[in-house]
Amino acid sequence: MASRGAETAVAAGVLALGGLLAAGAVGISGEAGYGGVGPNFLPWVVSASLLACGAFLLWEASSGGYRAMDEPEGAPRGHWTGFAWVSAGLLANAALLTTIGFVLSCGLCFALAVRGFKSSQGLPSGGVRGWIVALLTGIAIAAPVFWMFTQLLAINLPGLTSTGWL
Amino acid sequence: MIDILGLLWQGFQTAGTPINLLWALLGCTLGTAVGVLPGIGPATAVAMLLPITLKVEPTASMIFFAGIYYGAMYGGSTTSILLNTPGEAGSMVTALEGNKMAKNGRAGAALATAAIGSFVAGTIATVLVTLFAPLVAAYAVRLGPPEYFLLMLLAFCTVSAVLGKSTVRGLTSLFVGLAMGLVGLDQISGQARYTGGVPEFLDGLEVVLIAVGLFAVAEALYAVLYQGRTVETQNRLSRVHMTGTEWRRSWPAWLRATAIGFPFGCIPAGGSEIPTFLSYATEKKLSRHKEEFGTVGAIEGVAGPEAANNSAITATLIPLLTLGIPTSNTTAILLGAFQNYGIQPGPQLFEKNGALVWALIASLYIGNVMLLILNLPLVGLWVKLLKLPKAPLYAGILIFATVGVYGMRQSAFDLVLLYVIGVLGVVMRRFDFPTAPVVVGMILGPLAEAQLRNAMSIGEGKWTVFVERPMSLVLVVVVVAVLVLPRAAKLLRRRATA
Repeated sequence: MASRGAETAVAAGVLALGGLLAAGAVGISGEAGYGGVGPNFLPWVVSASLLACGAFLLWEASSGGYRAMDEPEGAPRGHWTGFAWVSAGLLANAALLTTIGFVLSCGLCFALAVRGFKSSQGLPSGGVRGWIVALLTGIAIAAPVFWMFTQLLAINLPGLTSTGWL
Repeated sequence: MIDILGLLWQGFQTAGTPINLLWALLGCTLGTAVGVLPGIGPATAVAMLLPITLKVEPTASMIFFAGIYYGAMYGGSTTSILLNTPGEAGSMVTALEGNKMAKNGRAGAALATAAIGSFVAGTIATVLVTLFAPLVAAYAVRLGPPEYFLLMLLAFCTVSAVLGKSTVRGLTSLFVGLAMGLVGLDQISGQARYTGGVPEFLDGLEVVLIAVGLFAVAEALYAVLYQGRTVETQNRLSRVHMTGTEWRRSWPAWLRATAIGFPFGCIPAGGSEIPTFLSYATEKKLSRHKEEFGTVGAIEGVAGPEAANNSAITATLIPLLTLGIPTSNTTAILLGAFQNYGIQPGPQLFEKNGALVWALIASLYIGNVMLLILNLPLVGLWVKLLKLPKAPLYAGILIFATVGVYGMRQSAFDLVLLYVIGVLGVVMRRFDFPTAPVVVGMILGPLAEAQLRNAMSIGEGKWTVFVERPMSLVLVVVVVAVLVLPRAAKLLRRRATA
């Protein structure tokens, strides 16, 4: 069961988003023409509604927790080590994609993600050999995808070389 | 009537060219695979493949996407019958009886009634779409901005406030989606909103990014965080075959369920949870084998919900094609695909892009036949997919997520955003916020805003424009009824029991 504190944090997040949108809405002109509804109308509606929803969630969290909740699926506590590995994979991919190319970058992302999943399943990481196998598997999946996009569909993806093959 | 047949015939000629048949087959195969695989559904699959709209011509890619949409429904039932974890919402009910049947060695019969039921319901529903979509379109031409705005409002209300378990969480999701839709240039005045000086935000947020982030990346992150130790048990597959009795028990359930599912798909209140549950309840009530429900597994309990699911899914194409209103995740993404081609689904679609629409409808007939073949004799092949270990499966999904999102806009910034949206998706899932309102709100939001402002211009700035026109007045009443009636009924029931 998710803790009361976490529910309060989520409600606070909704409130913060509403506040952020309201702050942004101030800067949008309200020039409405003869329709009476300008470009700042929906931003105000959305921010006010989010503030209202956030307040309501906050009240729910402080008075017995969110209503009509399903028991969340899976373990009661998160496996943050695994989460960190997968996050590292995704962010490394974002950082490296344009420099080392799609195939290698995705291979790396794949290997990091596999490492994360193995740790969350309590499986051995497989040492250096495990890393190499995962990296090669990732490259073997990414390469055909890359070729399909660059060669078949002629959609540009960044490569290490400009040949369109790697 | 003759017109429709003629147009449909032309549609078959377009859809029946070898290259388009190949796209349909590819879509159906891929769709079945994503339906079978846990962690990836039709909405994600279509979203990840949206970059192909940059190169492939519209008819081919819509046929391809429709194949995925359909195929995933067939594949989803395989997973929910054979695994103890139901895939998506629509197959949750199938899992109730399907799992029981499979545990008692009748997996084959359950799979058969699911696939054949899907085929029967899908085909009947496609016939109904063929007949009714042009009628609805012809009528919808007369709708003006006020009516459109109210229809969209109705879709917002049902998808967020009525369908979910918690109104406040549904509404929160909806407004988060609307907020995402606000980012970028305002359609009418061209003013930049919520761009924060980031040039990437000027074009708005990509639908692909949001959908892939919320579904694929969030799913992977959620799995690694919370489901590492979840052990899935798989039921044994038996020969895919139905006995005479099983046929006799299945077909009335298929037909009833088709009738139940179709109207739910048509109205802007999509989603297949309600019709599948209704069908399950109906079958349970009418069955002469009540003792089998929840014990050894009743075949009606699989046949009905599965058919209702397909019937409702097919019917969602009516509001999508004739009004341009998506009522589910996948139809919202399909709308995004149309928009990528500069095509706005709506009543004019049948006139302006008739060839495309009819080819799409024709491909549904073809796709249903393909899927029946792909799923009945070849089911053993799909079952092998269930044996894929989790680690490489999810890691592989991340590669496809990257290519889908990067391929759309060639921006590494989008990949960071993808991760952020993925984390948002994990939080939403953990705290039981529905995701469909986010996607529907994001895609439909800008359209609804434009309609609202046009409507207000027509009314010269007066809100009374929404009640002065007969059709829009009716819609106002419907919106209010949808919001009030379920609550009033609940209150009355509580009072009656108290």
